Amino acid sequence: MEKNFILAGFGGQGILLAGTILANAFMLDDKNVTWYPCYGAEMRGGTVNCEVVVSDTEVSSVHKQNCDYALVLNQQSFDRFINNVKTGGTIVANSTLVSEAKPRNDIQYVFAPMGDLANSLGTSKVTNVVSLGVLSSVIDIISKDALKLGIEKVLGEKKKDLLPLNIKALEAGAELVSCAKL
Amino acid sequence: MQQVFSIPKSMKENFKYTFCPGCDHGIAIRLLAEVLDELGIQDKTICAASIGCSVFIYDFINVDCIEAPHGRALAEATGVKRARPDKVVFTYQGDGDFASIGLAESMHAAFRGERITALMLNNTTYGMTGGQHGPTTMMGQVTTTSPTGRNREYYGYPARMAEQIALADGCAFSARVALDSIQHINEAKKAIKNAFQVQLDGIGLGFVEILSTCPTNWHMTPEQAHERVRNDMVKTFPLGVFKNFE
Amino acid sequence: MSETDKVLIKGNYAIAQAAVNAGCQCYFGYPITPQTEIGEYLSGKMQELRRGYVCAESELAAINMVIGAVSTGVKAMTSSSSCAVALMQEALSYAASDELPVVLVNVMRAGPGLGYIYPAQGDYNQSVYGGGNGDYKIIVLAPSTVQECIDLTYKSFYLAHKYKNPVILLADGLLGQMMEPASFGEYPYPEIDNSSWALTGAKGRNSRAIYSCARDEKKQIEHINHLFEKFELISKNETSWEEFETDDADIILTAFGSMTRNIKAAMKVLREKGIKAGCFRPITLSPFPHKRINELGKQGKDFIVVEMNMGQMFKDVKYAVNGESKTELVNRPVGEWLKVEEIVSAVEKITEKSYAASI
Repeated sequence: MEKNFILAGFGGQGILLAGTILANAFMLDDKNVTWYPCYGAEMRGGTVNCEVVVSDTEVSSVHKQNCDYALVLNQQSFDRFINNVKTGGTIVANSTLVSEAKPRNDIQYVFAPMGDLANSLGTSKVTNVVSLGVLSSVIDIISKDALKLGIEKVLGEKKKDLLPLNIKALEAGAELVSCAKL
Repeated sequence: MQQVFSIPKSMKENFKYTFCPGCDHGIAIRLLAEVLDELGIQDKTICAASIGCSVFIYDFINVDCIEAPHGRALAEATGVKRARPDKVVFTYQGDGDFASIGLAESMHAAFRGERITALMLNNTTYGMTGGQHGPTTMMGQVTTTSPTGRNREYYGYPARMAEQIALADGCAFSARVALDSIQHINEAKKAIKNAFQVQLDGIGLGFVEILSTCPTNWHMTPEQAHERVRNDMVKTFPLGVFKNFE
Repeated sequence: MSETDKVLIKGNYAIAQAAVNAGCQCYFGYPITPQTEIGEYLSGKMQELRRGYVCAESELAAINMVIGAVSTGVKAMTSSSSCAVALMQEALSYAASDELPVVLVNVMRAGPGLGYIYPAQGDYNQSVYGGGNGDYKIIVLAPSTVQECIDLTYKSFYLAHKYKNPVILLADGLLGQMMEPASFGEYPYPEIDNSSWALTGAKGRNSRAIYSCARDEKKQIEHINHLFEKFELISKNETSWEEFETDDADIILTAFGSMTRNIKAAMKVLREKGIKAGCFRPITLSPFPHKRINELGKQGKDFIVVEMNMGQMFKDVKYAVNGESKTELVNRPVGEWLKVEEIVSAVEKITEKSYAASI
C-alpha cells in the first residue's frame, strides 16, 4: 500500500502544519511516511501546498505527479490540483471558500464548510485541524485517534495549552460530514 | 656583564632575514614580538598570516600560525577566536590584503567587535608582485599599473583605514603609526601594545595601521624611503590614535 | 534505537541537530535557500550551548572562519548551497592542502549561475572534482534519506578528523526540505586526538604553522604525493555504496542522493514487467566505488545512470565500467525529480533499443 496526499491552501491557513500533523500521525502508526512542502517556483501566487506519502514499505518517491487524496482549503488550490487527483481518488474541499462544482466525473468530492465550523469554534485558525477531522471521517487509512496523537506530538509540551481547542476542532470536523466512509 | 640586547622570546631562534634592505617589516615584527613578550602571551597567541610580503611572518615569529588565503585573515582569526576564546589572536596583513581584497572581512570583524588584534602595514603598493597600484597608493604616485601616477579619473582616491576602522562601533582601538624615527617606533610599539590590551580586556577589535617602506618598489634608498614616509605619506595618512576605549 | 525515539524532521534540521550531537563547536554561515534552516536552527542552539556561531558577511568569510576554527583542533562546519559553494572553492583547496578537517554541507539547488532554488544534482562535479586550484581531493558523502542526513553528518565529522581532510556532505533541496521519521541516537564515532597538530598556542612546545604549500619545489612534490597517498588509504577504507537485487540483474539503475528512492521504486515496477533490474547507489561519491562497478560490468550487467544534471556522475560510471558493458543516461538538468513512471519508460525504451541492436 502506498497513498499520497496533496494538502493545499493559502498562506496562513496552516496547511503545512496540517500536513505535519498527518505525517506524524502516520509515523506514530508505524507507517513509512514523507512530507514535502511546496518549494521554489511553486510557491508563487500565495498558495502553499505540501505532499504527504504513506507506505507500508519504503516510500517510492516523495514528490509525485498525481495524488490519491487532495485536501484543499481555498478556491485557487481546488482549481490548481483538481486535475492532479488520480481517477478514483478523492478531493476534500473547504466549501466555505470553494464553490461546489464537480468538473470531473471520475473522482469523488467531499465539500464541507470547514472555515465556518472553525469560526464557530472561535477562530478560523483551526480550519486546518477541522479539515483533518473531515479527512479522517471520509477515508479509511487515517483515523481520528491517530490524528489526535499526531496533534499531541506536534504541539508538544510547549504548546500543550492549545491541545483542548485542537482536539475539539478535530472532533467537530469528524462530525461535519455525515456520509459513511467512502 | 650586563646584557643590553637580546632577541625577543617571541622571535624564532636563528631566523634568516628575508625582507629587502630598508623594508620596515623587520621593525614591525620585532616590535610585535617585544609586545608579546612584555604581555607574557607568547604561548597562548595564534597568528592568522596573510598573503603578500607579510606572509613571511611565520619565518620569524615564534607563535602558532595559520595561513589565510588572500584577504581572509580576519575571517580565519574570527574562527580561531570563536573556537578558542581563551587564546590571543592577531592578524598581520599588508594594505592590499586588509584594505582591498579583504575589506569585507576587515570591516565586518570591526563591526562585530571581534576580540582580535589586526596589524596592517601600509606601504602604498603591492610589494610582493613588484609594486602595483593598490588601495592605499597616494595621489600622483607612479606604480607599474599607474605609469603616469594615480589620478582621480582612473583610480579614485586612497583608502584611509585607521579612520575607517575607528568608525566601527566594535573597534576598541585604532591608530596609525610610522617607523621612520626612534620616537615614532616607540609610539608604534605603544599602539601595538594597546591594540593587544583591548583584546585581553575583551573590549573589541584593536587595529594598528603601520606606515612602512618599500624601498625596492619605490626605487629609493632606505633613507629616502623613510624620508618619504616622514614628509609625504603622513600628509595623506596622518599619524595618531583615532579610537581608544581605555 | 527504539521506534519511540523517532521524530518527524526536515533534512536541514536533521543535519543541524546531528552537527550539535557530533560536538560541532562552531558554525559559520550565510543564508541561502534551500539550506537556510540549518543556520537558523544553529544560531539559537549554538548560543544556548555557548558554542561558536557567526552570521558571516559572506560564504567566503564563512568557510575561512571554519578553517580558522578547525585549525585549533575543534569540530566546525558551514553549510551553503550550489552557487555559494562555488565561492568556497578556493578555501577548500587551501583546507585540503592544509590537511584541515573542514566540514561543508551543500544542500544543492540548481545551476549554472544563480540557478534558482528548485532542487537539482548539478554539484556532483563541483564537489567531487572541485573548483579550486591544484591537485587535491575532498571526501564527498551523499545522503538519500533524512535518516542518512543524520548518519552521514556524524560520519562527515569523523572522517574529516580521522583523515585531516575536508568533507562535503552533498544533500539536495528535496532532502533539505522534506520531513521523514528519523532517530538521532548518539554520535557513534570515537573522538580523534588532534593534539599533535592543532594550533593552541606554543605552550611547552615549539610553535607550529599550518600552510598550504612548501616554498621548496621538492617538498611540495612530496606534500602532494602525501595527500594522494592519504586519499588512496581513504579509498581503501571508506568507499561505500548500496546495492539492491544486483545478483540476477541484467541492468543496474544507478543514482546518488535522494534520487535513489525513485530508482528503487522503478526497479520494482520493471521487475513486475519482467525486466531484471537492480540498483546501485554510491554513498561516497569521492572516493567513488569504481572497483565494484567494474566488477558488475564484467558480469555483463548494463548500467543506466539516473540523475538530475547533464550526466555528471554518468561519466564516472562509464569510466568505471570501462567498456565491459553498456552505460546509458536518463536525466533532467534541474527541477522536479524524474518520476518513477518516467524512469520506467526511459529504461523500457533503452532496453528495447539494445534488444533491437543485438538481433
